[in-house]
Amino acid sequence: MAETFQNLYLGFSVALTPTVLFYAFVGCVIGTLVGVLPGVGPLAGISLLLPATFGLNATNAIVLLAGIYYGAMYGGSTTSILMRIPGEAASVMTCIDGYEMTKKGRAGPALAIAAVGSYIAGTLSIVGLMFLAPPLASFALRFGPPEYFALLVLGLLVLAYMSSGSMPKALAMAALGLLLGMIGIDTMTGFFRFHYGLVELGDGIGVVPVAVGLFGISEILLTAGLPTPPAVHKPKLRELLPSRQEWRDSAAPIGRGTLLGFLIGIIPGSAHIISSFVSYALERRLSKHPERFGQGAVEGVAGPESANNSATSGAFVPMLALGVPSGPIPAVMLAAMMVHGISPGPFLITQQPELFWGFIASMYVGNVVLLILNLPLVGLFVNLLRIPYPFLYPAILVFCVLGVYAVNQSVVDVWIMAIMGALGYLLRKFEFDTAPIVLGVILAPMLEMALRQSLAMSGGNYAIFFSRPIAATMLLVGLALLLLSLRPLLARGADWRRSVGLEAKRALGEENP
Amino acid sequence: MTLRLFTLFLALLFLTAPAADAQEPFPARPITLVAPFPPGGVADLTARPVAAAMEKVLKNPVVVVNKTGAAGAVGMSFVANSKPDGYTLLLALSSISIIPEADKLFNRTPAYNMTQLSPIALISADPTILVVAADRPWKSVKEFVEDAKRRPGEISFSSSGVYGTLHMATEMLSHAGGIKLKHVPFGGAGPALTAILGGHVDALASGPAVVLPHIKAGKLRPLAGWGAKRVAALPDLPTFKELGYDIEFYIWAGVFAPTGTPAPVLKALRDAVRRAVEDPDFKGAMAKLETPIAYMDAPEFQKFWDKDARMLADAIKRVGRIEEKK
Repeated sequence: MAETFQNLYLGFSVALTPTVLFYAFVGCVIGTLVGVLPGVGPLAGISLLLPATFGLNATNAIVLLAGIYYGAMYGGSTTSILMRIPGEAASVMTCIDGYEMTKKGRAGPALAIAAVGSYIAGTLSIVGLMFLAPPLASFALRFGPPEYFALLVLGLLVLAYMSSGSMPKALAMAALGLLLGMIGIDTMTGFFRFHYGLVELGDGIGVVPVAVGLFGISEILLTAGLPTPPAVHKPKLRELLPSRQEWRDSAAPIGRGTLLGFLIGIIPGSAHIISSFVSYALERRLSKHPERFGQGAVEGVAGPESANNSATSGAFVPMLALGVPSGPIPAVMLAAMMVHGISPGPFLITQQPELFWGFIASMYVGNVVLLILNLPLVGLFVNLLRIPYPFLYPAILVFCVLGVYAVNQSVVDVWIMAIMGALGYLLRKFEFDTAPIVLGVILAPMLEMALRQSLAMSGGNYAIFFSRPIAATMLLVGLALLLLSLRPLLARGADWRRSVGLEAKRALGEENP
Repeated sequence: MTLRLFTLFLALLFLTAPAADAQEPFPARPITLVAPFPPGGVADLTARPVAAAMEKVLKNPVVVVNKTGAAGAVGMSFVANSKPDGYTLLLALSSISIIPEADKLFNRTPAYNMTQLSPIALISADPTILVVAADRPWKSVKEFVEDAKRRPGEISFSSSGVYGTLHMATEMLSHAGGIKLKHVPFGGAGPALTAILGGHVDALASGPAVVLPHIKAGKLRPLAGWGAKRVAALPDLPTFKELGYDIEFYIWAGVFAPTGTPAPVLKALRDAVRRAVEDPDFKGAMAKLETPIAYMDAPEFQKFWDKDARMLADAIKRVGRIEEKK
């Protein structure tokens, strides 16, 4: 313990030197921008800036890149809340309730809660990273394909809680998403599926163009189709801050999101995206008023936004403790270390204490910087909504196209976004919820790969999922969740006429508000 | 973000610029070096010091552009189909020979043909090494192969992807040793390494630099290397050739130009790379990456490439279409 604080002191002595502080600040600013820009997520941002860090020393480079990573998680919520455009994949869930809050004139509180939740989650998860990194890292590595599969099955069950509308419609959309996720190269055999001669489709359909299209572009199209343009929001200063009730409602979701995000974040792979989905589902499940979700529930913003931030610290656990490229973003950061002649490995903490502890301390500093940066920006961002729609929406469209194109420099991605925008418009006209499609597109390739890798490991024997303790436990939890969600159905089954009558009345009520 | 857009803008500008006059000395404007993989990968990390060193020689900017997608096919076919004027070059890895063969196997229209690209120089060649998880019993290739013969299809290995370089290296070993291993493909070399460190697979063929720290930490045990010579960092590690297996495999990186590039331009580029690999900054950068420089000029490189491509084509044919085997 005392040693940790001594090390932390060393870390702060590194992190508070003017140059390191400068690069942490620059990283946070770039990260916020990367997060705000629709389409460009932290992976793209870090990849784009990696070459620029070759001239720096290792500590500065890592601090800068990490700043971009967690800065993007702060910034990602902004466009989700204000315009229903997910800045990156982990903010998809924030769109749902965040944007509803904006429509009700509560954009300011939503942004403020997102920033404060991110700060709390970011800071607490670094404490976790600092004390628990070595023991947790070995545990994280025990997540092989079967464990990942079990986790994703849990994620899939989340679908049941995603939509506030009709269950068959939500499941239909999820199925559509899973089908879209089948596009691309078959990772086990090398076959191309549904690529229609387009090389770019070999990698499958990217989540970002799909999410930006389905959420953002469709929203713009829907607004354009309204007989009268929606009133321009003119927020008053008082309305920028969350009410006491909103703070109270957010406290527990922030805490749970932090823990959940950290735990899911340490798992190798792209698990951090799932953390926000799971957090949303959890909050909805625990809420006394689940019907508020999808109508502007502040918990639906606080939970996922905290989860995606603490997942970033979690993702650093295997990377720093063991030198393992545990996901796409840690892999790029390890490459940055190698460029500086540091071979990342299990001895990183002992051999490079300045780097490790400087990095930890700079994350504490960075989170403070981001809070200071983001809270005043709330006022600025909310005022963006004063821009009349004829000017605002074309500008947003331009940024969407630029952002989606820049990630892979691919025109195909822009087309996917456009097609998904049109599809989203149609589906929403028919009152389908598009969020399950996005989750399907995210989960399908991961789920398929994990399942087939597991079966390759076991030689086709499904018992592998039950003979491994972590996987078996998670599948049991999933089963329990499934049964729990069926319980009301079974209870109501006694008088199915009444239940059908209730459903019909509720559906009518929704159509004629 | 702005940086990338700026590079892109530059690249577009140069691609659409009027053709250089025939008498104009080469190069008269910036050159684009396409890395077909994302930043941080072997291709990107090799391309950047090469570009920086070539810039000094050519007195013109050499801009690295990451054109990624479909395991490199997008970037490689982009350069293969670019104007052969020497202003669009490619930094490719061994997988350049795999993609057209795999396309052939599946009766697909190939994204590009190898004849569309002319070699300029080989930059580096890193032999893969075979590592096993440290808690597994095998202490030598002999024990490994004998056990694999006893239990065909039981010992597992991870790879960067089906028909990827790491898969091909292991396939050569399986063929030479007459063994059958269980293949668990992953999406990239990073996840493949994570899998063996977690104990989910038994073996992995990998470039030495990324596994060295884990060997030192006692998590992984090296059994042999695919190189003609031993790996400098692991002097006690035998090569497969020494052990009587006639296999050789390198993850190499080379510079290519579209076929049809005028001879004087090709010569200028070859000279530039020859001088670039002597550059001390370049040597320092490669040393930090622990990647051995293995420079070869075009004629020599063409022979090396032909041999390597033949070897890989044979390996791909042996693997065949995966669904046909069961």
